[in-house]
Amino acid sequence: MIGHATTTDNGMAERIASVYRKMLLHPTYRLLLLLAGAPVTAIVYIFYQYRRSAQGYRGVMDHERSELLQSGFRDRLLSEARDQLRRKHRFFGNSVSEKHQEAEAAKIADLKFDIRLKERLEERLSGEKGMQYSFGDTYQRLAQQPLFFALSLIIGFPMYLIMAVYANPYMKYIAERLVMAIFVIFGVAFVVFTILYISPMNPATNILGETATAEQIAAFNHLYGLDQPYLNQLWNTIKGILTFDLGKSFAGNELVSNAISNKFPVTLTLTVISTLIAVLIALPIGIISATRPNSFFDYTFMFIALLGLSIPNFWQGLIFILNFSIKLPWFPATYNPANWMSAIMPIVVLGTGLTAAVARMTRSSTLEVIHEDYITTAKAKGLARRHVLWKHAVGNALIPIITVIGLQFGAMLGGAAVTEKVFNISGIGSYIVDKQFIPDIPAIMGGVVYTAITISIVNVIVDLLYAFFDPRIRSKMKQY
Amino acid sequence: MTNSSITKQEIRFRLKSSSEYGQSSFAGIVSLFLAIVFLLNSYSPAEGSFKPAVLTVSIVYFFFTLLQFAAWYLIRKNLMETGEIKRSTRALGYVLMLSLLSANVFVATTAFQLVKRKKSASYTLAVYMLITTLLVFAVSALNVFKPYVADNFLLGMFLLILSAVIQLIGLLLVAKYDDRKVLPGWLGLIAFLLVLTSVSGNLFALGLGLLIFSKLRDKDYTSGSKLGDVIEKLSRSSTSMLGLMFILFLLTISITSYLTFDYNMAVENNYSSILQSPNLAQPLGTDNFGRDLFSRIVFGARISLIVGLLSTLIPVIIGGGLGAISGYYGKQTDNVIMRALDILYAIPGFLLAIAIIAAFGASTVNLIIALSVGAIPTYARTMRANVMLVSTLEYVQAARAFGSSDRIILFKHIVPNSIAPMIVKSTLTIGTAVISTSSLSYLGLGVEPHIPEWGNILKLGSAYLETHAFTAIYPGLAIIALVLSFNFLGDGLRDALDPKLD
Repeated sequence: MIGHATTTDNGMAERIASVYRKMLLHPTYRLLLLLAGAPVTAIVYIFYQYRRSAQGYRGVMDHERSELLQSGFRDRLLSEARDQLRRKHRFFGNSVSEKHQEAEAAKIADLKFDIRLKERLEERLSGEKGMQYSFGDTYQRLAQQPLFFALSLIIGFPMYLIMAVYANPYMKYIAERLVMAIFVIFGVAFVVFTILYISPMNPATNILGETATAEQIAAFNHLYGLDQPYLNQLWNTIKGILTFDLGKSFAGNELVSNAISNKFPVTLTLTVISTLIAVLIALPIGIISATRPNSFFDYTFMFIALLGLSIPNFWQGLIFILNFSIKLPWFPATYNPANWMSAIMPIVVLGTGLTAAVARMTRSSTLEVIHEDYITTAKAKGLARRHVLWKHAVGNALIPIITVIGLQFGAMLGGAAVTEKVFNISGIGSYIVDKQFIPDIPAIMGGVVYTAITISIVNVIVDLLYAFFDPRIRSKMKQY
Repeated sequence: MTNSSITKQEIRFRLKSSSEYGQSSFAGIVSLFLAIVFLLNSYSPAEGSFKPAVLTVSIVYFFFTLLQFAAWYLIRKNLMETGEIKRSTRALGYVLMLSLLSANVFVATTAFQLVKRKKSASYTLAVYMLITTLLVFAVSALNVFKPYVADNFLLGMFLLILSAVIQLIGLLLVAKYDDRKVLPGWLGLIAFLLVLTSVSGNLFALGLGLLIFSKLRDKDYTSGSKLGDVIEKLSRSSTSMLGLMFILFLLTISITSYLTFDYNMAVENNYSSILQSPNLAQPLGTDNFGRDLFSRIVFGARISLIVGLLSTLIPVIIGGGLGAISGYYGKQTDNVIMRALDILYAIPGFLLAIAIIAAFGASTVNLIIALSVGAIPTYARTMRANVMLVSTLEYVQAARAFGSSDRIILFKHIVPNSIAPMIVKSTLTIGTAVISTSSLSYLGLGVEPHIPEWGNILKLGSAYLETHAFTAIYPGLAIIALVLSFNFLGDGLRDALDPKLD
């Protein structure tokens, strides 16, 4: 029993050590690993140095080097490199100074010499002791001691957390994607803030009027922190975004975060509903078009889809209002949260572009999949047409469609301002547009950055969905 | 039983492989649709009567639609009986050409294709070139009903007639000589004249002239260039040629409007004729300041084309360059560039444009910059993927083995070979840029309000939606037509350039 326990113990230590060694190869992860487990790193480093000197690593290396030098190996390498370089330059007709050529030859020779030295060193060390002295090996030796392992678990807990994430390909993928998303969110805040900071517009004069005195303007700038240096303002803004406290807007003196939290759900609800409806309509159309390519049905629907891509939202909204609110009193012309009828026209207008894009994408990606070899195989097996289409073709065709939906959802959320203006919806888009004339920096910042954050989160979800739906991506994920 | 199924397949093959058959069904359906639209518009429910002018147009369209369907039926019958279209059926094309007088380009272009048995890219280009110039002439000629015309109106109209004559001669000569393997040398003179007429903006003439020049120089020694191949394929798709024709029609009319249109009509207020309904002097009516909507839309085409083209060209160059460098050098360069672009990519283009315009104010230049910045990441991604693919090919390795520098390998060997998807993508996104331009103008964030731009015209018109809906409908139709044309052209280019279809 005890023996068995030790072997599994050793096996686990080996597994952990192999993860450790793998992480050491990757520069970013190496830094993270060594920093997160700083106390453990320090101990391992001390042992590493101690073992190296104790086993005469340095002495062996010096010995080998002098042996190689004495055998004239380096001189041979040098003359060889010199000769090759001369020929190369003659062939390309380059004229290079003697000194430059000499330096280049020395560099090549040194490189080759070092490689050879390392080879000999390894040969000798493995021959003598059966063990090499890398940092990772030192860790493995130490980790096999239960005492050290228990201690390192306590003092290097964050390190083991990172290692656990690294060891699982899915966790690693998710973690990397999340880190990317956070980086992008900070980047967005930085970019939008910088654009607004270098703006030549002057909110103070726009709000206080042309007649404002210099003191009034200075007081205004002081009140909103516009007189602070760039980095201070940037820091405050980023802090504000993270804590949902962007201060008060310049005009109207309302809390920006309150205004955004009132308006954002309106836009989000409308866009999500219209995305869902659009996908429900577009997928069947695209699939039917793909199963009957170049038929009358296909041409008609693809023409309508192209038309849908070509209609500006605001014009479509106006025509809808003209026909369905003014000429025929079916729907109210302006949006009112209490009346669901008033949401129908905005949803249709918002969803037109997405329906068109998804229908076109579904058609082309289904067509592509239908001509794959495995579909021919499935047909040859004698499966029913319906079964082949739904079980084998559509599932695989969905992957690029998900991307298009994600992208188009972002575009829809960003472009909602126009539709909101047409139907008089008080959403985030029309809020930003209303505030941009001043320009009301905190309001625009908040509106743009929170929209971008939402889109980033949607993109993360799309990417993760992808990873779990597509076996090709899953296997690729495991490899790296 | 077997016999009939074979013939059924054969019939289907015969019908599918005849380009005339497909084109005439397309032209018939579109023409029928337009005729119905005109008919519905000619009826005014308030008075319970028909407007005579629109009704006449509708009847003419119905007439040509009927003829077109007759031609379609004859083509079908001929194909099913003999597998070939008879001469008498082709002669019907000459009658159908008259539909050009009613501006029915769908039927007219089909007619030109029908009368010629052996079609070539040059012939198709020549047809579209002539039709474009004639349309520009006809639209410019509407100005004679106005109280006064531009100072250079007569000169402009004369030049248009002159180029139409030259192009007609070009078309006839191309139709006669194009089947020959070696063209007579004096066609070079005609080609030169055609290239001269393309100064008007009719780039079909430029393309045709260059095609003739290359054929003259080639003397049937080579099998043709890749570009020639692309033009050949593109000319076979009638939707993309029609799209290209509308784009070039707008380009030509934007350029010739410097001579034939009076800018004052579009911008000077005229309070004596406010919100007039469409009539001969003001074909599309007037707006709330009495300005002629027709002139405004014609001048608006200039802005839309310039903004659309520039705000696509700038990100293509910047994004393409960044993507190429990123894809070629890889490693850290790639990481830094792509991560920086990821940030831009996360902000929706439209919102970024609003933020940039909020910061720097609304003007045409800022609008172009704002739209360009948001589009850079997509082009960079496309270019990067292509460059990464092309860099692994043998000829790049050969160039490297031969000691070419990185700069030469990248810009002489890799970039020219990875540009095709960029062309397709940019054509498809010019349409988006046109929509974004007009949307931003509609929000008051785009082109300055005093400039006649389609979004601005629509914004003014939308206030009169209830009483004078046409002020909002016509500019919208212009936007849709332009965007649709770019989309059709982009689809056609994708089919023509796609290496998978080879």
